[in-house]
Amino acid sequence: MHIMEGFLPVSHAIGWSIASAPFVAVGLRSINKKIAEHPEQRMLLGVAAAFTFVLSALKMPSVTGSSSHPTGTGLGAILFGPTALAPIGGVVLLFQALLLAHGGITTLGANIFSMAIVGPFAAVAVFRGATALRLPFGPSVFLAASLADVMTYLTTAAQLALAFPDPAGGFLASLAKFAGVFAITQIPLAICEGFLTVVVMNALIRFNARELREMNVTPREVIRA
Amino acid sequence: MLTEQSAYTNRWRWVSPTAKGILTCSGIVAAFAASSPRASLLVAALLMATAIFGAGIPATRYLRVGAPALLFLGASCLSLLVTLKFTHGGGTLTMQSNPAELSHIARMCGRSCACLTALLLLTLTTPLSDIISLLRSCKVPDTLLDLMTLCYRTLFVLSAAIHETITAQSARLGHSTLALSLRSMGGLVANLTIQVWQRSQALHIAALARNNDGALRFLEHPFAHSRRHITMASGAGVTLILLAVLIP
Repeated sequence: MHIMEGFLPVSHAIGWSIASAPFVAVGLRSINKKIAEHPEQRMLLGVAAAFTFVLSALKMPSVTGSSSHPTGTGLGAILFGPTALAPIGGVVLLFQALLLAHGGITTLGANIFSMAIVGPFAAVAVFRGATALRLPFGPSVFLAASLADVMTYLTTAAQLALAFPDPAGGFLASLAKFAGVFAITQIPLAICEGFLTVVVMNALIRFNARELREMNVTPREVIRA
Repeated sequence: MLTEQSAYTNRWRWVSPTAKGILTCSGIVAAFAASSPRASLLVAALLMATAIFGAGIPATRYLRVGAPALLFLGASCLSLLVTLKFTHGGGTLTMQSNPAELSHIARMCGRSCACLTALLLLTLTTPLSDIISLLRSCKVPDTLLDLMTLCYRTLFVLSAAIHETITAQSARLGHSTLALSLRSMGGLVANLTIQVWQRSQALHIAALARNNDGALRFLEHPFAHSRRHITMASGAGVTLILLAVLIP
């Protein structure tokens, strides 16, 4: 769910850009460090950004029949870590604004905050929490990917509610309205993306176990099984 | 992609990207500075007319590109038109329309439309490679520009791979039911994820073979009459902002 160009008041647009900037800067620093140590990672991150972009152009089978597309937030966060995803997500969101008119330049900061910061950090937190609780790998991935989507969508709803509080009920009523309107597409999308990410991770474990082990994504016993 | 088709085939293909960038920024400033919904809608109409009649973008393509954003705008305006009221005593929730908010919503709608048309003017007339060059001249960090360049140059390759895989899966009835479709989609994404590693490794080897040891640089198109275009765009931009501010 991208906030469209010009939708946010100028103070909110600037505020969210300022809030996102440190995460993008830290992400860029970590990417620079990675590239200095492993130069081949530069190509990997660039191709990963393209991969995230093309994922957003895929139509996913949705239970409501609505047109939904995977965001790749959960998968990307599990594979590359949440810090690197802020600049990668920023590039993808800028491309979506420029190539597809989804989102916008003035709302780029707000969209980066919800999709490239909150979503990935939520995904990794849930994945690590579930792993620490010794949940099986599949349900951990499902929860991480689904909740990352839900957190992204709730953050966007909160951003809209902050910008446009309800005259009678204030922020909470506005949050309920925005969350309610977009829940029709976003909740089924979160569930479908959760299942999809599990299928993807299972396929990766079968065919790309060595790469996953090198990235410390999966416990060894899962790969061995 | 519709925007890319327009960006390479429109009449303003060889107009300086800096000039188009200035006009877009002016359009966005005018949208935010507009004194009334009427003024912002006028800005939107002028920018749309510039793209369709000036740059020669087909009207149907223009509307198709803008449609998803307008859908978001419609759903959001619907949310803003309705007011929720929590009644603490009875624990009930009432919903009512809020005509008092109409002028506020109209203003926001006008602003969004004007900003959208400003963005479309840039994206439908300027290829992304030119926008990346423009960002390079604005001193955007090299790492970010490298990510953009690689992303831009690879996304068409991955898109082609996706289309071919979906065609192959459909031919084997891989999308005939919801469950099969989800399974096929999972296989497709997993396969693409593996390709990310393989293709990036191949790109790295190719870059090493060309003695690449730093930022990725590509030849940029020279734009004739660049100074004239920038002057004209600046004049048009100032006029647009003045119109937005002065029209009641």
